Amino acid sequence: MTALTLTLKKIPQQRIDCSPLTPDALAGKSAADIAAIPLQSGKNTLRVDALFDVSGDDVAEIVFMNGCDKLDYIGAAMHSGRIIIHGDAGCYLGFRKKGGEIVQHGNAGNFAASGMTGGLLHIHGNAGDFLAAAIPGDRKGMAGGLVIVTGNAGDRTGDQMRRGIVLIEGNAGDYCASRMIAGTIGVMGATGDYPGYGMKRGTLLLFKPPRLIATIQDCGMHTLPFLKLMYKSFRDLPSKFAHLDQTRVRRYAGDLANDGKGEILLFS
Amino acid sequence: MLTKLSGGTVYDPAHGIDGKVMDIYIRDGRIVERPQDTERIDQEYKLNGKIVMAGAIDMHTHIGGGKVNIARSMLPEDHRHDPAAHSGACRAGCGHAVPSTLTAGYRYAEMGYTAGFEPAVLPMNARQAHLEMGDTPMIDKGGYAMLGSDDLFLRMLAAKKDQNAINDYVAWTIAASQAIGIKVVNAGGINAFKFNQRFLDLDEKNSRYDITPREVLKTLSRAVYELGVPHPLHVHGNNLGVPGNVETTLNSMAGVEGYPMHLTHIQFHSYGVEGDRKFSSGASRIAEAINKNKNISADVGQILFGQTVTVSGDQMSQFRNAELGSPRKMVCMDIECDAGCGVVPFKYKDQNFVNALQWAIGLEIFLLVDDPWRIFLTTDHPNGAPFTSYPHLIKLLMDKSFRKDVFATLNADAQTMSTLASIDREYTLYEIAIMTRAGAAKLVGLHDRGHLGAGAAADITVYTDNADREKMFAKPDYVFKDGQLVVKDGSIVKVVWGATHTVRPEFDRGIEKEIKTYFDKYHTIKMEHMKVSNDELEDGGRSKIIVQECKGRREKTA
Repeated sequence: MTALTLTLKKIPQQRIDCSPLTPDALAGKSAADIAAIPLQSGKNTLRVDALFDVSGDDVAEIVFMNGCDKLDYIGAAMHSGRIIIHGDAGCYLGFRKKGGEIVQHGNAGNFAASGMTGGLLHIHGNAGDFLAAAIPGDRKGMAGGLVIVTGNAGDRTGDQMRRGIVLIEGNAGDYCASRMIAGTIGVMGATGDYPGYGMKRGTLLLFKPPRLIATIQDCGMHTLPFLKLMYKSFRDLPSKFAHLDQTRVRRYAGDLANDGKGEILLFS
Repeated sequence: MLTKLSGGTVYDPAHGIDGKVMDIYIRDGRIVERPQDTERIDQEYKLNGKIVMAGAIDMHTHIGGGKVNIARSMLPEDHRHDPAAHSGACRAGCGHAVPSTLTAGYRYAEMGYTAGFEPAVLPMNARQAHLEMGDTPMIDKGGYAMLGSDDLFLRMLAAKKDQNAINDYVAWTIAASQAIGIKVVNAGGINAFKFNQRFLDLDEKNSRYDITPREVLKTLSRAVYELGVPHPLHVHGNNLGVPGNVETTLNSMAGVEGYPMHLTHIQFHSYGVEGDRKFSSGASRIAEAINKNKNISADVGQILFGQTVTVSGDQMSQFRNAELGSPRKMVCMDIECDAGCGVVPFKYKDQNFVNALQWAIGLEIFLLVDDPWRIFLTTDHPNGAPFTSYPHLIKLLMDKSFRKDVFATLNADAQTMSTLASIDREYTLYEIAIMTRAGAAKLVGLHDRGHLGAGAAADITVYTDNADREKMFAKPDYVFKDGQLVVKDGSIVKVVWGATHTVRPEFDRGIEKEIKTYFDKYHTIKMEHMKVSNDELEDGGRSKIIVQECKGRREKTA
């Protein structure tokens, strides 16, 4: 058994909805069945084999080759298994993902990990805006699971995020953790303007001094022993965050305009 | 062009026809008498073994106006989860609880409905409501203008104005908002909400105007009757959803002192306070009162389980209910000096005690009211459930074993509080045809709809008889709208735009002087700008206005 490999033949003209191509949805399907699955492309539908060269037969592991930024909804609603993407992905990567693993070697589009509730999303590259955020109209963004981004993330990372952990080894854009309800976001690089804007609860781990709004208040330096527990949970992660051990941090609390139970911990 | 529908089994309660095999002839959009044998039949549909009824009429459905649009914009998930792709004659759309206008029209026609009436047209929002309804294809439309919580009416009442002046104002409102009736929502309560009252019982006074809901109901029901408007005052009672409101509802019936009144979504107004949880069914008392008082009619507002959204002018109730919303979003707003509006998404759950009992109460009312001419099939779309669940509701009414099976799966505590399992009544096709066709047309005052006699508009629905009534009513074989075949085998084959039904009661134009002064002083727009013109409804000829006959103004009746 080799992993089911979907090699994109050429960059499609319209965006493609790849949500039918998950290990759960393909379980029990033959190669011919998979080749015939219709994918929404703009207002038309295209067969899988019109877009991809299909090889391999183990649907528990799906590999996308030649990924491009028009492939939306990869790994949407998946429960189990593994998806590996070589190349870029479009918007909504891991949308409402409940479990399983997505590993990407390339850049993800907007709204990656939106509504995700479990499992791992590991992006070896950059993520677009609204990483782990809620799509318009939804009340909650990411609600569980783990996201690791080795590159940078765009604006509004973790907007209305509810639960789970987002670890960004590069920089994050403006309004990081805006309207965050709960959960943890770590950013090793710089953050843009106004992190924690409208933050209700939750924890933001920063390593560079942020530019804050007035309703997030400096609470001074603290030694926080509970951080050791968090570090222990990070210890086995395939990320730079696995090596943290500093318990002396500067703590900011806010956003006081929205309950003020959120915190920003600054390591420096 | 002469069309013949031959050999169908016809149910036409307006003419007492209960399942008789007969032919129907259509010429130029109207049903005609049997033509002479020499005349050539241009088209014939052989309907042997099929069931033929007039097109169905939904006499209470929220398909237009500000609140529906608020619900649409507030619930993108409702649209995301229910897309409707473009196909054939139809354009794309979306939405389960609050579908887009086009999709709403298509879905109505695909179920055999040919008319729907928007019950909460705020006069100030009438233009928006008519534009949305004008964009709803396939079916005929009309609206009931909302009065009773507007400041001008309450001022007139507080100043003890003559009933004639009030009648003129009511008639002016119908004309200006191009409505076919008058609705009152939580009589005086929406206004009281603005003065910080959170409940208003029938004999409780509005703290600003010193007016009770009882006075509002009596004055308005009398006004509608004296103006000769065929549709009786359409009443959304006080204390919606409050346990114990069955007393309020019974008192309201008595309060109109014999004037005709239609009580809408009465299921939400039939709750007692018995039992461990102080929430019980008042259905039998309500049904008994409806059976006894011939001036009262009602539609049920049945709830069915699943996700929907409640949209209402009853800001006071919606404010109370906002905490129960699912997902947790809501809009409650004042609308000028007219009234207010509240939108709260809601999920009815079959294992929830209250929801399960609401479901049973609705069905109890359906089954305990004897006269199908005075009880109507609605879910108060989308408040109890989307209108697309009507076939399911019809099956619940027509099939007692199905009904009992569903009932047995509900919340066990709710089951012990309901007598539903002991009611064996099953609705017949004839009774369904009364509720959804003949009775509804008579109630709304549509003289040429809801029946299949000569002269009626050829709005006709043809079903294949099927013991599974849900399947039968969900997918008619043919639907004719004004003589044109618009639906075949449950799919749209031709898109038409329907008409807007109105009434035009007479009134003394002198009333405009007072209304104008009021508009100039308190409203954001001028009186002349508020009036909806015929051109706006006709939309360059796509739609048309049908003025239904008024009975003529009556002299003082009290």
